Amino acid sequence: MHAIITTGLGKTYPGGKEALKDLSLQLDEGEVFGFLGPNGAGKTTAVKLLTGMLNPTAGSALVMGHDPEKDPERVHALCGVVTENARMYDHLSGLENLMFYGALYGQNSFESRERADMLLAGLALHDAKDKKLGAYSTGMRQKLSFARALMHRPRMLFLDEPTSGMDPESGIKVNQMITRLAKEEGVTVFLCTHQLRYAQDICTRFGLISEGAMLMTGTLPELQNAVLPGIRVRIRADKLPAGLPLQEAGNGVFEGSLGEEGEVADLVRKIVLQGGDLYRVEVEKPSLEEIYFALTRNREAAK
Amino acid sequence: MKTAMKALINKDLKAITKNKQLFASIIVVPLIMGVFLPLLFVVIFHFVPDEMGDLQPLLNLLPAKGIKDGQTMVLSLLINYLMPGFFLMIPLMAASVMAASAFVSEKEKSTLETLLLSPLSLREIFTAKVLSAFILSMLVSLATFLLMTLAFETAVYLLMGRLVALHFSWVLILLLVGPAVSLLAITLIVRTSAKSQTAMEAQQRSVFLILPLLLLVIGQLTGVMLLDAWMLLGLGIVLGAIAYVLMWGAVKKITYEKLMGI
Repeated sequence: MHAIITTGLGKTYPGGKEALKDLSLQLDEGEVFGFLGPNGAGKTTAVKLLTGMLNPTAGSALVMGHDPEKDPERVHALCGVVTENARMYDHLSGLENLMFYGALYGQNSFESRERADMLLAGLALHDAKDKKLGAYSTGMRQKLSFARALMHRPRMLFLDEPTSGMDPESGIKVNQMITRLAKEEGVTVFLCTHQLRYAQDICTRFGLISEGAMLMTGTLPELQNAVLPGIRVRIRADKLPAGLPLQEAGNGVFEGSLGEEGEVADLVRKIVLQGGDLYRVEVEKPSLEEIYFALTRNREAAK
Repeated sequence: MKTAMKALINKDLKAITKNKQLFASIIVVPLIMGVFLPLLFVVIFHFVPDEMGDLQPLLNLLPAKGIKDGQTMVLSLLINYLMPGFFLMIPLMAASVMAASAFVSEKEKSTLETLLLSPLSLREIFTAKVLSAFILSMLVSLATFLLMTLAFETAVYLLMGRLVALHFSWVLILLLVGPAVSLLAITLIVRTSAKSQTAMEAQQRSVFLILPLLLLVIGQLTGVMLLDAWMLLGLGIVLGAIAYVLMWGAVKKITYEKLMGI
């Protein structure tokens, strides 16, 4: 079964702003899908449509086999959601908050206590569990929101900028948990972020969105091949034979683009055979960031 | 009822007792209206009975049967005819404060969306919220009624050596008119909650409901009408019906988008 299927999904707000246009997507179970784009690109609108908080003005969606517009409760029972606007109660402690949300999912106090303790320990929040949420830092709040979304062992996670405000160590913990959930428990993750480098580390597939429109979807190699094929090579050598597709970038460093990895060996062989000394060879494929900018540039040019 | 709904009601009721400012505002009005005011009437009547001359038009309306002397008649008039108008402000106020806190505060503090993302349906969330405001309002009314009776009868007994019988109309007030007034207040808050950005703003809107109650009190004082059991019965049924129709209309129109103000 597909975790998410959307067909021509769109949302135009009453004021006339078209926040999402013609989104057609399919997500398999266990995928960590990075939904990427700058702030205001339509990521949060998409999450709200997929969780039934907004009604689409075009198209339709199925989340874990349920239509979020007609059956939001069923979608909510299967999904955990972390967004900036879904906060918890400042006057309750971290543990009390988690137990309350556990109760909303029908857990008795024993079950919710056990689950909350486990999640709090896993996210290094155990020492702060009896502190009021009002005294939590932004990063701690964000971790508790993540724990809250996991209270009912969801099959699907919607995470909108899940690590914003977290210290690097916490960010790594959350990322490890996301990866583990997807790999070991088959949880599908729909992760929205504008931090492309971060997404590149943990997502298995990507959707790049700009101004409400999906630019392209695919795995990193698929995107690289489609948008910026080839590899970049950077070489430090004392001298270079003539006729190589490299240009000097200063300090004995030469840069250039090649079609595929096999050409690197040819290049190195040529330099060495002609008596050149090689000190460093770096091979790089375009990053998600470069692909995104190339795509938006193409789009602007097409306009 | 689902455990989840109970958890939500519990959470709302606990939240109000933990918020000192809100809790104080829920306690103060009942103490003034339900305890201080009747005691003040009794004391004034005992020490300066002539001041009560203003009540003469109302006294003229009273059915005289069964009441032995003028003093008991005035005291009975106070507790059975004048107090209900003041007393009804208690469920009105408690329900408004609680409903504003339960609906608008959640929006104000961005906790509403988290709640809406739970597996409870919109209607269940709505019902739980209305019930928590209603339960609190009924608890406060009942507690105030007990305190009021105790304070009034003790004062009357100590100062004048007698007890004054409470009329059947109090049963109607506690079980019919009070609940109807409180439902009406909740409905009003709920219907305007999408427009109100803060809980304070929502409470201010419900202040207008006090006006008809004040008219009721003034009407009694000036002897225009007498609030007997039949009138209370009619009033309770009419208010209850209005509250029911308005509430049902609000439930039918409720959507996630409207609640989040889109």
